[in-house]
Amino acid sequence: MSQSFGSFGRRGVLAGGTALSLFGASAEAAGRTRYITANNNPYDILDPHQVFDIGRIAIRLNMYDALVRWVDNPPKLEMWLAEKVDISADGLVYTFTLRPGVKFHDGSPLTADDVVYSMERILGIKKGAYGLFADVVKPGTTKAVDPRTVRFTLNKPFAVFQAVLSELWVVNSKVVKAQEKNGDWGAEWLTRNEAGSGGYRLRRFDPAIGFQAERFEGHFMPFGKGAVDDADFRVSMETATRVLGMIKGEFTTTDGYMPAEQVQRMKESGNVWFKEAESIRTFYFIMNHAKAPMNDVNLRRAISCMFDYEGFNNNILGGTVVRNPGIIPNPMWGAPKDLKGYSYDIDKAKWYLSQVKEKLRTIQIGAMAGYPQSEQAAQMLQAGAAKAGLDIKVVAEPYTTIAPKLDDPERAHDLIPLWRSAYFADPHNWTGFLFNSRNFKSGNASFYKNPRVDELTDQALVITDQEKRRPLYEEVSRILVEDAVGLFVNNTKFYGPYAKSVKSVRFCPIGDTQDLRWIEMNT
Amino acid sequence: MRLLALALRRFLWMPPTLLGLTLIVFSVSHIIPADPARVLAGENAPVEQVEALRRKYGLDKPLPEQFVRYVTDVVGGNMGQSLYTQRQVASDLVERLPATFELALFAITLAVLVGLPLGVVSALYRNTWLDHAVRLVTIAGLAMAAFWLAILLQLLFSMQWNLTPVQGRIDGWGPDPITGFYTVDALIRGDFATLATSLRYLFLPMITLAIPAMATIVRFTRAGVLNVMNSNFVFYQAAMGLPRRVVIWKYILRAALIGTLTQIGLVFGNLLAGAVVVETVFSWPGLGTYAYNSILQSDYNAIMGFTLFTGAVFIGMNLLVDIAQAVLDPRSR
Amino acid sequence: MKTLRRLARDRALVTGMVIVSLLVLAAIFATPLSNFPGHVTGFDPAFRLKPPGEVFWLGTDRMGADLYSRLLFGARLTILISISATAVAVLIGVPMGLVAGYFDRWYSDLLMRVSDVFLAVPQIVLAIAIAQTLGPAIQNVILALSATYWPFWARIVYAETRSLRNEVFIEAAIAMGASPLRVMVLHVLPSIASSIIVRTTIGMGATILAAASLGFLGLGAPPPTPEWGRMIAESREFLPQAWWYATAPGIAILLVVMGFNLLGDGLRDAIDPRIRRGS
Repeated sequence: MSQSFGSFGRRGVLAGGTALSLFGASAEAAGRTRYITANNNPYDILDPHQVFDIGRIAIRLNMYDALVRWVDNPPKLEMWLAEKVDISADGLVYTFTLRPGVKFHDGSPLTADDVVYSMERILGIKKGAYGLFADVVKPGTTKAVDPRTVRFTLNKPFAVFQAVLSELWVVNSKVVKAQEKNGDWGAEWLTRNEAGSGGYRLRRFDPAIGFQAERFEGHFMPFGKGAVDDADFRVSMETATRVLGMIKGEFTTTDGYMPAEQVQRMKESGNVWFKEAESIRTFYFIMNHAKAPMNDVNLRRAISCMFDYEGFNNNILGGTVVRNPGIIPNPMWGAPKDLKGYSYDIDKAKWYLSQVKEKLRTIQIGAMAGYPQSEQAAQMLQAGAAKAGLDIKVVAEPYTTIAPKLDDPERAHDLIPLWRSAYFADPHNWTGFLFNSRNFKSGNASFYKNPRVDELTDQALVITDQEKRRPLYEEVSRILVEDAVGLFVNNTKFYGPYAKSVKSVRFCPIGDTQDLRWIEMNT
Repeated sequence: MRLLALALRRFLWMPPTLLGLTLIVFSVSHIIPADPARVLAGENAPVEQVEALRRKYGLDKPLPEQFVRYVTDVVGGNMGQSLYTQRQVASDLVERLPATFELALFAITLAVLVGLPLGVVSALYRNTWLDHAVRLVTIAGLAMAAFWLAILLQLLFSMQWNLTPVQGRIDGWGPDPITGFYTVDALIRGDFATLATSLRYLFLPMITLAIPAMATIVRFTRAGVLNVMNSNFVFYQAAMGLPRRVVIWKYILRAALIGTLTQIGLVFGNLLAGAVVVETVFSWPGLGTYAYNSILQSDYNAIMGFTLFTGAVFIGMNLLVDIAQAVLDPRSR
Repeated sequence: MKTLRRLARDRALVTGMVIVSLLVLAAIFATPLSNFPGHVTGFDPAFRLKPPGEVFWLGTDRMGADLYSRLLFGARLTILISISATAVAVLIGVPMGLVAGYFDRWYSDLLMRVSDVFLAVPQIVLAIAIAQTLGPAIQNVILALSATYWPFWARIVYAETRSLRNEVFIEAAIAMGASPLRVMVLHVLPSIASSIIVRTTIGMGATILAAASLGFLGLGAPPPTPEWGRMIAESREFLPQAWWYATAPGIAILLVVMGFNLLGDGLRDAIDPRIRRGS
């Protein structure tokens, strides 16, 4: 690979690919480890600041670094690019000291200027994780004190600031600036190229296929024995293809959220082993409180008694999930251990229905087309409601159609079955973000307003001590169930399939096991 | 001269037809509840972010203004940027084109190679069991849902017998593009392993696409041959004492095949339409999947770009067919 | 009588007629014929993905609903969609073709050019775009299909009307002072009715295929609607184990479309012996 770094134009990427085929032949002889992931989402945009989703997280985790990083389950936040942090007493000023000697893939040093540029870039292109920072960080307020010190000044206390900094992926500012075109922050270029410091370096990219990366020996964090040398991430939409590929050994791993039947089939082949873990990804129905009669707590309680939780979790999903009575996932701190949710009880549902003061009408569920579980949950609730005498209509729309309506209580569906994944592991992700009335039109798609919940979640954002925040979130959880704010169904279990060539993996709900540096292969 | 006039007239109609098409697709894609800015901004994005994106892509302007701007840009050779891939729609289309054309060419070749002989045989042995069998197959071929056939083939060939891949175009990474046709590129390089692999991947989508096309060709051929056989001209030739074989080969087939060949352009156009569904089932990285994904993402520029492109190909094909017909069969002028 | 006997001898026509009648019967008597009439919306999660057997003749689906019963109710939907979509398309296309063909004015050409525009792009692409825009629902599928398929009727009616325009009986009617509307409805329309009927029969098949494709792509009726295309799409996640899931609805689509095509072909042969020689 005599190709000069940093010149990853379209041509450059292809040249890298040609070099690879020569390299690939000798690579096997040299006993390099190879790890092929089949993903059910396309890896079509490489820019870490344009996307903020689970489907493409492998790009960010492997080719980029942030000041902090999540590891293990339940997730812990570790210092990563940063060595230490000082937080002012008022919780407004965060001063991070960077690790010495961190290098980008082109060999140039990573400095505080790059961190500042990355923050400004997120605020500037207003995509991806912008929403996490927009409220508290204003453009121009982030300063490089010296090459190893960066200072953030918030305009109000935000206890989860460190937690969300895991999404401040640091890009090589010199390289990206050189590619800027009419103030686009180099967006067009970075969509297809890479300018990071992460453990893996881009070798080849095709939006229709995926990307290939090789281990970056110059990374500040040493790799363990049996670390992955060559990584290959490919899109493969069809479940059957991914399963077949695992059985035949064409893929090293694929997604860990398959139907029970497919998991069984892979197990029976004898070629695949599984890593099981309870993740932090709750499945629930958003309820739109803004439209009568959904504003009536007894109707919401009635609906919560119409869903066959057992039948759904254990029969339809074959026990691949765990009942989660509240919104905060069971393993997460802040979820009360003794929380009692609703259970499937048609008689109780009928009783609650009789207490409803508002005039009843047909309730509409907006299921997410293309997500079988969302559609199946809708059908499940519809059938239960029919037994209790409530008329429910299901529509299935792609997320692209559902999402815009979430801003407008009049157009939004009454109920929407979906997941709330972990982008950062803090109870705020499931409570304040989703149910504080300040977040109408951004996170709070329920249009739920409860002064006590507002107060508790606001308070919890000002205190930084986790043990003091815990009771606040536990109280919020109880109120949300008492008010039947949503219909809380389950928490997802991860069943990650691996080829026998993989010795061990380290699971973290943020990115599952896609952070390759923790993988150990048999050599 | 009249031929030239016909061609010219049809050619001049192309721009207004495409403009009309643009207007239809523009209205369809823009007057809607979906909101690409919202989609682009991502889950739980604040309203302010959505507004900024709307301004950036000019989606806040009145629709007529957006339309005029789009048409002016296209005339100037700029199809705009895809909201989703962040690239020029034209370069996206060019990148996806070889995959679709390779598939369509393989499919039409198969359809012709099988369809023509079947059609001829079916006509020559009219009302025998052979004819009935061929007709049954063609009728079924035209009535089969392409996506179901695709799944059936996947179920048998890939999952049960393990002969072909379920979906995709190549094992992992294809060869570096020369033409972008994997089979051709492999041949140029003399890389027979890659050639074999890409043929294996082509197999199922090719068959799925080819079956309705083949059925159409059989029908055309059969009808064409029968028409010629029943014409006085052939009776005359036969009466002249020419052996049956000579009559068949020299007169009937020639006349019938020319008629059929002119239809192939139309069949090819239909293949492109079929590709939208078939490519989606096989995750074939061509124009069809691109179109389908763009529609789901409400990616305006990409939808319009694809429609204009297929429209142009469609109209072009029709034009060629008309000219070919006019040249080969002077009566149809 | 002679015609009827000839029709009865045409095997293709009879087969088509039988299949279409069976579809209609299945749709009408879906409730008494089905084993689990409640499974249009209901199900039993304990019996999820069971293979065909004594209780569930064609197996069960991902919710534990009887596929055979759902297939029967799907027939109802299929008929509803194809009849309404073709009816609307006929109602748009036929008058347009009549007017454009009967009068030889500037708008004749314009109307036909408009239909050319609709024909300049694959029907399914336009239908997908419209269905996605309007949102997934049965009435939107019907709308999307009729909005994309009407030009076929416009063209055929236009061509036939044009060729009739100079026939003696039409000119005679005009000479006797009949209004254009009267001539079109009482003289032209009856003469071209057979072509319209043939085209409509074949169009039914095409509409069913297109509607199933939309359902398959997730742009059709929402769950738990027993729509055949949607059932096939649902099955993909469970292949190859649940082979029965996609098989039954696929065969149903195949048979029904074949039925309409055979019927259309047969009718054309019967009505127009000139073409009969050819096909």
